[in-house]
Amino acid sequence: MKRNSLRSRVTTFYLGMLAIALVVFSAAVYVGAKTFLTRSLEQKLRNNAHAIISDYLVPLEHKGEPWLVEEMTESYPPGYSDPFVRVSLGTRILYQSGDMHDPFVSMSKVPLPSNQRWFNAFHRETAASGQRIVLYTVPFHGTNGSVIFVETGASVEPIRRVLRSLLLIMLLATPIILVVAAVGGYLLMSQPLKPVVVLTERAERVGRKELGERLPVIPSGDELERLSLALNRMIERLEQALAHNHRFSADASHELRTPLTIIRGELESLIQVPSLPNSVMECIGSALEESTRMAKIVHSLMTISRLDCGEEKIEHAPVNLVDVVNVTLDHMGLLAEEKHISLRFYPGSATFVMGDAMRLKQIVVNLVDNAIKYTQDGGEVSVVVTTEGEKAILRVTDTGIGIPAGALPLVFDRFYRADQARSRESGGTGLGLSIVKAICTVHGGAVFAESVEGKGATFWIELPLLRLDTRVETNVDPMLETARRPVPGR
Amino acid sequence: MGMAAAMRILVVEDEQKVSALIKRGLTSERYAVDVAADGIEGLELAEAYPYDLMILDLMVPRLTGPELLQRVRRNNTFLPVLVLTALDSIDDKVRLFELGADDYLTKPFAFAELLMRVKALLRRGPVNRSSTLRVGELELDRLTQQVRRAGKRIELTAKEYALLEYFMQNEERVLSRNMIIEHVWDQSFDGITNIVDVYVRHLRSKVDDGNPFKMIRTVRGTGYTIRSGNET
Repeated sequence: MKRNSLRSRVTTFYLGMLAIALVVFSAAVYVGAKTFLTRSLEQKLRNNAHAIISDYLVPLEHKGEPWLVEEMTESYPPGYSDPFVRVSLGTRILYQSGDMHDPFVSMSKVPLPSNQRWFNAFHRETAASGQRIVLYTVPFHGTNGSVIFVETGASVEPIRRVLRSLLLIMLLATPIILVVAAVGGYLLMSQPLKPVVVLTERAERVGRKELGERLPVIPSGDELERLSLALNRMIERLEQALAHNHRFSADASHELRTPLTIIRGELESLIQVPSLPNSVMECIGSALEESTRMAKIVHSLMTISRLDCGEEKIEHAPVNLVDVVNVTLDHMGLLAEEKHISLRFYPGSATFVMGDAMRLKQIVVNLVDNAIKYTQDGGEVSVVVTTEGEKAILRVTDTGIGIPAGALPLVFDRFYRADQARSRESGGTGLGLSIVKAICTVHGGAVFAESVEGKGATFWIELPLLRLDTRVETNVDPMLETARRPVPGR
Repeated sequence: MGMAAAMRILVVEDEQKVSALIKRGLTSERYAVDVAADGIEGLELAEAYPYDLMILDLMVPRLTGPELLQRVRRNNTFLPVLVLTALDSIDDKVRLFELGADDYLTKPFAFAELLMRVKALLRRGPVNRSSTLRVGELELDRLTQQVRRAGKRIELTAKEYALLEYFMQNEERVLSRNMIIEHVWDQSFDGITNIVDVYVRHLRSKVDDGNPFKMIRTVRGTGYTIRSGNET
């Protein structure tokens, strides 16, 4: 049971409510039962006492004591003990019923009424054998001035017994009810929550590749149906936004590229004019170079935006990072050589990832190009491919000028330049690292940077490692092999 | 260029300035050029005349480029088609070839590159595959992969060799950086590095150093070219 699942929270909550309700209910029943039982017992005792007075004591004066004993023996026989009855005149007992049997209470031990406060009231007495009994005492004033006491009484034990069993039943029943309710409720909750689980799983899948999919609509007519409909409408709006974005990208690239083509074309035809002064040629050449750079920026921006919104289709094939780096460094060696930078590669064993060989190569090109660009003559650039758990790691380290700590989080932003002057002069677009980041993201990976200013920088990417079964691994993209030509003397 | 005068090219492009540029450039290369400003007009012209080549902008009004391409291909499977596109995702390019395009060029392009591709499409076949390439006193043997200038051996790395071979195949033509990258490296090197300049500089120092005539020339803003020096 997940701690945070809605199901367990709801179950816990209503179990709590149920427990409180049960306790309150039980208490009410207990108190109610106790009051009712006591009241009815007392009622009975009072009725008996008054009945004895009106039936036997009022006619006592002209019928005589023997009549009383006879009559009472008949109505309340000595063996009869429920209720217990005693009629006394002073300390003389006129009549008394027998001992109580269940439980046994020896009535002769019960003291005669002496306390004024007991008159016309109930009082409790503890019998010699330890039982609690309740007694009702009524004084009867005879015409001759004598006071006769009528006492009725009963053991409270039967009431206690009933209450004890009631309590026991409640103590046993409450937890059982709670357990049954918990299990039942938890299982029951899964029914209405099942569509939510399905909804979640499907929602997770939406947008991984394409938005095309819709969530299942739960035809329950309740909040869940409204939720699924609302989510679908949201997906639709997202889809429209993405389509709009795509259209915008296409339109923008078209709209930017057409004037660029014209600028280029005009400048190129201008340059054909014979005998232009050198300064004019210089200007035209410079304008041409800038139009090329602008075209590069447009191209890179489009690439990034397409990668970001998942428009750019990428291959999914096993790619060996070691091969990618080998081929790429082979192509770039001279860049390093020219600056007397030693470009080293420390390949681990074959490291496969799932992805697009061309795009992965672009990562290596951009990172190594950057490293060479920002490293002074005679420095060192090293590339390492390793694995760490389920991750394939490609690390490019240089001994260059480094990046100020404050700028590190920004280097992957579009058009961010840590060192304005230097990178502009080297003709970059300010988009290289953004492209790296975008490519890593579509491959389910990430890119990181760390640096000590003045000492160098390390950029590394982490991609999900592809564990290949032993012999499938020679399937390397043939694209990587282009432009490789055996030449003697190399 | 004797043959070129007979070649007739159809340009389907709605952007008047772009079509004018292409027309001007191709005309000066002595091609006959017709311009159509929309898809319907393009289709009518393509069906009316036996063109040797069609240059087609993908986003033309009335009939989109792909539709036009499909309609043209129904009747004419031989007409070479060079597509101009502002889109550059791999997807779009693959789709173009599926529709029957023979080549494409992404805007903005250098006219030199357009011309190269036009010529390559019109040539189709008689590509120089002889084992020895010669430009002036420079000689490249494809079998032994040896390069000599005026009989003196020049040692080149693999990349420099590929670069020089590409230059020599296109003697006197201006090669843009883009063309060189696509031909000698691949697209993943596009747009980031000054890799072409570095390699050309190295190649040039090996080929031209110590010689009074510099064969490998820079064309500012456009690219590089190799000159034989025979006419000078």
